[in-house]
Amino acid sequence: MLSVAGLTRRFGEQLALDDVSFDVVPGRMTGFVGANGAGKTTAMRIILGVLAAHGGEVRWNGEPLTQEIRRDFGYMPEERGLYPKMNIRDQLVFFGRLHGFDPIRAAERTDKLLERLGLAERAGDTLETLSLGNQQRVQIAAALVHEPIALVLDEPFSGLDPLAVDAMVDLLREEVTAEVPVLFSSHQLDLVERLCDDLVVLSRGKVVAAGPVAELASGPSLTYKLIVDGDAGWLRDVPGIQVRDVAGGTALFDVENDGVAQQVLQQAITRGPVLQFAPERVALSDIFREATR
Amino acid sequence: MNDRTLDRPALLIAEREIVTKLRDKTFIGSTVFSLVLVLAAVIIPALLAGRGGPDKIAVVDDAGARVVQQASVTQGDDGFEVNRVADRAAAEKLVTDGDVKAALLPGTDGYVVVGKDRVSTGLESALREAAAKVGMEQNAERAGLTPEQLRAGTKVELELLKPALLPDLVANFVNIGLALVFYMTALGFGMMIAQSVVQEKESRIVEILAAAVPIRSLLWGKVLGNTVLALSQIVVIAGASVIGLIATDQLDILKVVAPVAGWFVVFFVLGFVALAGLWAVAGSLATRQEDLGSTTLPGQMILMIPFFFAVFAGSSAKTVASFVPIASSMAMPGRMLTEKVPLWQPLLAIVFLLAGTVLIVRLGARLYERTLLQTGRRLGYREALALESS
Repeated sequence: MLSVAGLTRRFGEQLALDDVSFDVVPGRMTGFVGANGAGKTTAMRIILGVLAAHGGEVRWNGEPLTQEIRRDFGYMPEERGLYPKMNIRDQLVFFGRLHGFDPIRAAERTDKLLERLGLAERAGDTLETLSLGNQQRVQIAAALVHEPIALVLDEPFSGLDPLAVDAMVDLLREEVTAEVPVLFSSHQLDLVERLCDDLVVLSRGKVVAAGPVAELASGPSLTYKLIVDGDAGWLRDVPGIQVRDVAGGTALFDVENDGVAQQVLQQAITRGPVLQFAPERVALSDIFREATR
Repeated sequence: MNDRTLDRPALLIAEREIVTKLRDKTFIGSTVFSLVLVLAAVIIPALLAGRGGPDKIAVVDDAGARVVQQASVTQGDDGFEVNRVADRAAAEKLVTDGDVKAALLPGTDGYVVVGKDRVSTGLESALREAAAKVGMEQNAERAGLTPEQLRAGTKVELELLKPALLPDLVANFVNIGLALVFYMTALGFGMMIAQSVVQEKESRIVEILAAAVPIRSLLWGKVLGNTVLALSQIVVIAGASVIGLIATDQLDILKVVAPVAGWFVVFFVLGFVALAGLWAVAGSLATRQEDLGSTTLPGQMILMIPFFFAVFAGSSAKTVASFVPIASSMAMPGRMLTEKVPLWQPLLAIVFLLAGTVLIVRLGARLYERTLLQTGRRLGYREALALESS
C-alpha cells in the first residue's frame, strides 16, 4: 500500500500542502481531485521524489519509501514529454532499462506494449511524427514498460477524445494487477466517477474528503425526485419529509428513511399518474463542490 | 521484482547520449566536415610543396648522371632521379613536355642546366654544388690529392643556441591548431550538452528521469557520454591526420607531435569534463532554448578568454596561462610542442587542472541538482547558488 502521512510543502510564503494524509490501496484506482492549484501535482511530485517535502513522509507498506523501491514506480507527469527525436521503440526500451530492466526484457516488454497499443508498425518512427493521441499512448507505455509496482498518473486523460480514454482505461485495467496501487489526478469528474474505486479530494492543500466513491456518493441525507401529472404542491403538507423545491409537477425532497419515501409514492399514486419517482444520486460534482466550498 | 542488472544509471544515460548523437545527421555531418578539413590542411600543403616523389633530371652522359646522383645524396629527402636520354634534343623535349624538372647537359666549361620557364633555386643550387664537388674531386685526383685532403679545414657546422622543435611557421600553426581543436570541441559539445539538458527540461522528461534515477547520475551520464564522444571524434580526426602525414611523407612533423599527444589527451579530458559540468548547469538554469544565450555566456567566456590568451599572448603570458585550469588545456600542449618544457611543468599544471575540475564539477553537480527541476523561469547563477535543495 502506498500512503502519504502528514505531507507539508511550502513555496515561499505559500502553503501548498498542509498535513496531507491518505492511502492508495493496491488493486484499486484512487482518483485525486481538486481545483487548479489545490496541490495535486505537488503531492504527486513529492511521492515520486522529484520534490522534497517540508514535513511528513511517503510510505510503502508502512515503511518510509526508498529510492530503490521508488525506481519501480511508474510515473506520468502532468506536462507530457518524451524525447521528440528518438524513435519510440528505443525510447521505451530506454525507460525500461532506466527502471532496472535488462535490455532483452525491456525490448520484449516494449514490443508487447506497442503491439497492444496498435503502434507496432510505428516502432521505428520518432515521437514527433506521431499524432498527439499516439504520443499520449507512448507516454502511458513509458509509465508501464517496467511493470511498475505502483502507478502515479497526473491528468492521464486530459486532451484525449472519449474513445482514446476508453482504450487507455482498458489498457490500465489490463496492465495493472491486483497488487498495484494506482493514483491518478483528474479534473474530469465524470471520468473519475466512472473509473475510480476510491477518491481523495484536495482543497487548498488540505484533504477535505477521502474514501470509497460509493460511500462518499451515498451521502448523509436521502433525496428523491418526484414528477407527477398535475401539481405537486401537496407534498409540502406531508409529515416526515423536507421539500427542497417544487415547480409544477416536479419536486425534490429529502426523507428520513426509505420507508417514508414509499409512503409518499403511494400517496402520489392515489392522487393521479406518477411519471417519475427515483432517489436522486448525489453526483461527484456535488461532493466536490461541497467539499471544496 | 525487477532485474537489477543495471545498477549504474549513469552508464545508461551516457549510452543514450552516445547512441543518439551517432544517429544525429548533423553530428555525423560536422564530424565528416572537420575530418575533410583536417585532411585537407595536412595534405594540400604537402602537395603544393611538391613532395610527390623525387624530381627527375634528364642527362645525356655518365658525367651528368654522376652529378645528379651526388646532388641527390646532398639533398636528402627524396632526392633526384636520373633520366638518361640519347641526346640534347631528346632531353629538351622532356623538359618542354614537363616530364622532367630540368636537364643537365654538358657545357663549354662544365654544365648547363636547362629548364622550361624557370628552374627553382633549390634545384639549381643543388646541381651547382654537386657539379662543383664532383669536378673538384676529379681535379684533386688529377693533382694527386685525395678528396679528404682537398676538403681539409673547409667543413662548416651549424650550432643553434635556442633550437626550435619545429620551423616557426609550423610551430605557430600547430599551436593555434591545438588550442582551436580544444576550443571548438569544448564549445560545440558544450552547446550540445546545454541544449540536451534544456530539451529534457522543456519536454518535462526530466521528471520521469529524476523519479527513476538520482539527478547526479543524470549529470554524470551526460558528462561521461559527451566526453567519450568528444574524445573519439578527436581520435578519429587525429588518426586521419596521422595517416595523411604518413601518406605525404611528413614524418618529421609526426615525430615532434606524437610524444605530446598523450599529454594533450590528459589535458583535454580534464578540461572538457570541467566545462561539460558547467555547460550542463547552463542548461539546467534555462527553461527554454532561447535562455541558453544568456546562461551559457559564462561558459563561453571561460573558453574564449583563455583561447585568445593561448593563441595570441606573448610567451610569458602563455607560460602563466599554461598553469591556469582550463586555459592550461589550450596552452600547455602547444607550449610543449614549440619549446622545451621541463617535465614538472605539465605535471604541476595537471595537478592544478585536476583540482580545478573537481571543484567545478562538484559545484556544478550542486547547482544542477537544485535547478534541474525548476521549470518556472530562467535562473541566474547567483540565484541558483542561493537556492535551497528542492
